[in-house]
Amino acid sequence: MHPPSDPLDPLLERWRDAAPPLSEHLNAEVWRRIAAADTPAPHLSLFARIEAVFARPSFAVAFVAACTLLGLFLAEVRLSRLQAEHNTQLVQSYLRLIDPLLDTAGTTRSDAAAPQS
Amino acid sequence: MKRTLFVFLLGLAGGLLAHNAWFFAHRPGNPSGLDAQLAWMKSSLHLSDQQFASIKALHAQSSPQLQALATQVARMRAEFAAFENTRRTTGEVDFLEFARFVEQRRSVDRECAESTRRLIVAAVGVMTQQQRDQYCRTLLSSAGQPTATDSLN
Repeated sequence: MHPPSDPLDPLLERWRDAAPPLSEHLNAEVWRRIAAADTPAPHLSLFARIEAVFARPSFAVAFVAACTLLGLFLAEVRLSRLQAEHNTQLVQSYLRLIDPLLDTAGTTRSDAAAPQS
Repeated sequence: MKRTLFVFLLGLAGGLLAHNAWFFAHRPGNPSGLDAQLAWMKSSLHLSDQQFASIKALHAQSSPQLQALATQVARMRAEFAAFENTRRTTGEVDFLEFARFVEQRRSVDRECAESTRRLIVAAVGVMTQQQRDQYCRTLLSSAGQPTATDSLN
């Protein structure tokens, strides 16, 4: 049992028999394209590469997030130092409170007429 | 170009904003007063509420006397400076007056040392051994040289 003939079939058969004419420069064109594929991409400048990287949305988001995290980290470092200074001041003021013989600088005791027990 | 600059500035602004917001939100307050000092003690020595209440009461009880003594010590230092100034300018020393001053100064110093020692002994009395060690170590290292806390060791 044969399938019903399609009117398109003879047209396709005819197109297959009549091959398209080859370009005169086909070989040259093929070799030119092969050579172009083998040639490394032109060297981009540093700025152009940076720009290309920043143009990627994923990198831009990661960059902003990294800057924010760096800001938080530096704030923590600064706070830690400030807290240490704050604690030192508290200890010094506490010492001055409980020991009236400490000088106002808080590090030396008066030695003039000190009790000799 | 514009996009790169925009992303860079956005990152910079985000970093600065996060930095300042975090810093100013967590910045410690100005240290002053007995309450701030006792709060520091509570956090650094990990005092329980009961210990904190006892230590606060002890300090509140001793504080007026210690402040009065501190005022007296400051007055005597000024008096000593005046003696020294007179000696330098006129070359004369009122030895009787100076002897009286020295005796008074010794008495005040003794009273200061005793008050300080009493307060510290009472405070460490409500602490655990670990807290006591840390408290004394902090006082000694901050004082830089022998203080009334020496009598504890």
